[in-house]
Amino acid sequence: MRYKLEKRPVQNPWLQTLAVFIGLAAALGVSCLLIISAGANVGEALTAIFNGSFGDWDALAETLVQATPLIFCGMAIVIAFRARVWNIGAEGQFFAGAMVAILVAMNLSFLPRPLLIFAIILGAMVGGAIWGGIPGFLKARFNANEIITTVMMNYIIMFFLSYLLSSVWREPGHFFLQTARIPGAAQLPVVASGTRLHFGFILSLISGLFAYLLLWKTPLGYEIRAVGINPVAAQYKGISIKKITILTMIISGAIAGLAGGSEVTGLHFRLRLDISTGYGYTGIIIALLGRLHPVGVIIAAIFFGALVNGSTSMQIITGVPVALVYCVEAIVLIFVLSADIISRYRIRRVRDVK
Amino acid sequence: MTTDQTAINLIKVDSLEARGIVKRFPGVLANDHIDFEVHAGEVHSLLGENGAGKSTLMKILYGMYQPDEGEILVNGKVVRIRSPLDAMSHGIGMVHQHFMLVPTLTVTENIALGLPSSRKVLLDLDVVARRIEELAAIYHLQINPKAPVWQLSVGEQQRVEILKVLYRGASVLILDEPTAVLTPQEVDGLFKTLHKMVAQGHALVFISHKLWEVMALSNRVTVLHTGRMVGELPIEEADERKLASMMVGRDFLMRVDHPEVEMGEVHLELKGIRALGESGLESLKGVDLRIRSGEILGLAGVSGNGQRDLAEVIAGLRPPTAGEVFMEGVDVTGWTPAKLLEHGLSYIPEARMVDGTVGDFSVSENLIMKDHTYPPYADGIFMNFKNIAKESKRLVETFDIKTPSIATPIKNLSGGNIQKLILAREISRGPRVLVAAQPTRGLDIRATEYVRRRITEQREKGVTTLLISEDLDEILSLSDRIAVIFEGEIMGVVDRDDATFENLGLMMGGRKMETEE
Repeated sequence: MRYKLEKRPVQNPWLQTLAVFIGLAAALGVSCLLIISAGANVGEALTAIFNGSFGDWDALAETLVQATPLIFCGMAIVIAFRARVWNIGAEGQFFAGAMVAILVAMNLSFLPRPLLIFAIILGAMVGGAIWGGIPGFLKARFNANEIITTVMMNYIIMFFLSYLLSSVWREPGHFFLQTARIPGAAQLPVVASGTRLHFGFILSLISGLFAYLLLWKTPLGYEIRAVGINPVAAQYKGISIKKITILTMIISGAIAGLAGGSEVTGLHFRLRLDISTGYGYTGIIIALLGRLHPVGVIIAAIFFGALVNGSTSMQIITGVPVALVYCVEAIVLIFVLSADIISRYRIRRVRDVK
Repeated sequence: MTTDQTAINLIKVDSLEARGIVKRFPGVLANDHIDFEVHAGEVHSLLGENGAGKSTLMKILYGMYQPDEGEILVNGKVVRIRSPLDAMSHGIGMVHQHFMLVPTLTVTENIALGLPSSRKVLLDLDVVARRIEELAAIYHLQINPKAPVWQLSVGEQQRVEILKVLYRGASVLILDEPTAVLTPQEVDGLFKTLHKMVAQGHALVFISHKLWEVMALSNRVTVLHTGRMVGELPIEEADERKLASMMVGRDFLMRVDHPEVEMGEVHLELKGIRALGESGLESLKGVDLRIRSGEILGLAGVSGNGQRDLAEVIAGLRPPTAGEVFMEGVDVTGWTPAKLLEHGLSYIPEARMVDGTVGDFSVSENLIMKDHTYPPYADGIFMNFKNIAKESKRLVETFDIKTPSIATPIKNLSGGNIQKLILAREISRGPRVLVAAQPTRGLDIRATEYVRRRITEQREKGVTTLLISEDLDEILSLSDRIAVIFEGEIMGVVDRDDATFENLGLMMGGRKMETEE
């Protein structure tokens, strides 16, 4: 008699859902150890995080503000990863979108407000689409590894932006590396008065609806998923992998670009290098935690938004540094993904055959 | 070892014997009481089609499989060979068809890999290199020991594999289809080496399906068919004809109902098709074929002779380096798969899970593949799920696909049902040209009969069919004419009434035939 680890022939969706919760519980356990090691009371710290993120309407609104760029970036990643195109460049596409949005906001402010905001949204998407489309084209045309090119594109745009902010784009007469504040007409409207929750959040939900419809209701989404699961069979049936690669990167980049546009015109009103705390990379975690599904992405993004938002309260009340939350994010990812993989296997007792 | 640093310790084997070997795999009897022996100073060839059990037997001798029954004797003593390491310690080595080398390491490093160094913890690559040069001189295996493996040609890599085995002192060498990857010049070189080895007292087991090679090289031949021994004979008693009919099994033919069909114009024509295979070597060397509407042309041949590449050229998946493809008189060379499919081509690929379907997609998602962008499956920008469901249900019913629902992921279906699904998809499109590659491989009898009947039906509808199969029974019962491919060349085309196991077997073994075309 011995035991054998084997892959389940058929996946059990209940077990996979259960695995997420077991993973979360385990992550919580380890996170508590971190809180203890930081010298704080676990109960106090967790209460502070919860109250700071969901405790009242203001807290909830701020949580959604934090979740907005993550929802966008998560959706961008979902679309790319569904086609098995590894877009690690959402961060760069985010800034490309933010830069075009700023250009539009600064130069077309004479337009009537609805038209101006429409132009900003469109511009942000075009910026991201171009920055995503380039590595997509390089992959399709020269088979250049998109993991490398998208990361490189991130550096290019960050340093380019840094140059612009220290020269032509710098707010006249100021010391900081930032643009001037955009005019009021170019600012996305606030959707819950008295809070910072802006129209970008609504847009992010629309991007989720778009991602869902695209992937599961249109022929293009069908092709994206087919290429992602079995590129050989897709090719045999006449689907052009090159075309799908380029289109996927353009769409993915456009959504990531919209994230940048939304942050810069909805929240910060000026462009600085620190308007993203790595949303493009966190988007990958969000997409994976959300099982590459728009609904999962929204849940995961709000969860992460809550952690970030609540951690400020935790620091104020218990003195545990905010940086701890970034550890927690990574711990959650490791545990949930591990639990997911483990749930695909089973242990079976086998009799030795003579 | 202590006195002479450069000596190779040959593990002397006078005889290697396998007696009554039985090996079962689920659903298959791969070896059914096989007896096989080889002695020092001879080449014993093992001949048979795919699935005859050659590789299984060799893997048992090399310790990769354990036999269910039977015993192995080395020098007359019963031994148990539990692993390739065991086999090596008994002086048995194997040269694999797919090389097991580390491309970034040099020849010397590859050969030294896994062996203890004569300098204990320090590397002794210079010693190894010297020994390699000596071995190379003895056996005519010219090689630069310092060259990294990735720079070597396929033929040179094979020399490294052989040197690796010799270096470990093997006196029995099992060569698994060693000529399959070589150019004719390289084959000559290999044969010189093999002759030299025999002269040095090695025992060689040569696995092949090429008749002339077996005749040219062997002292003895054993022929296997579907896991059983057809016979063992000394080369003096063998000739190509005799071996050919032994290899394909029997002398009688089973014919199925094959109604007369009016044949029309030539609707699929290949002119001088040349193409490179996966390894970058030329795998198609000027293929000419003409198939008329209402005709099934069966393409027979041992696998790996270019069949897959030929199908891919026709389907637009592999660009030919020369030659043209005509469909219904139109030059379609270089067309994309999408354009060809729209032009009336249907293709049933041989690897149904890899090339034919998307495993995580549902039955209905797989059924609509390719036609998913057009009505009735899509209107405007969205897909029409009502029509997709309706059509899927109809196809599942008409083609008798056993599935819990049309939403079931296809990877949960049995092979037969997956093949029926592919068939449903390809045939329901109303193709005018059909390429079917190994359409019944791995299917049970009922599914096989079903698939064959469906393909014959297409013939009656005037479809032009190229049937690629390694199953001679299938070829003979379905085809109007039969072409045989060997190393990327058509050896001949015969009418179904003129086909015999003997002439097909000869062509499959590489003999060119004069034919009417």
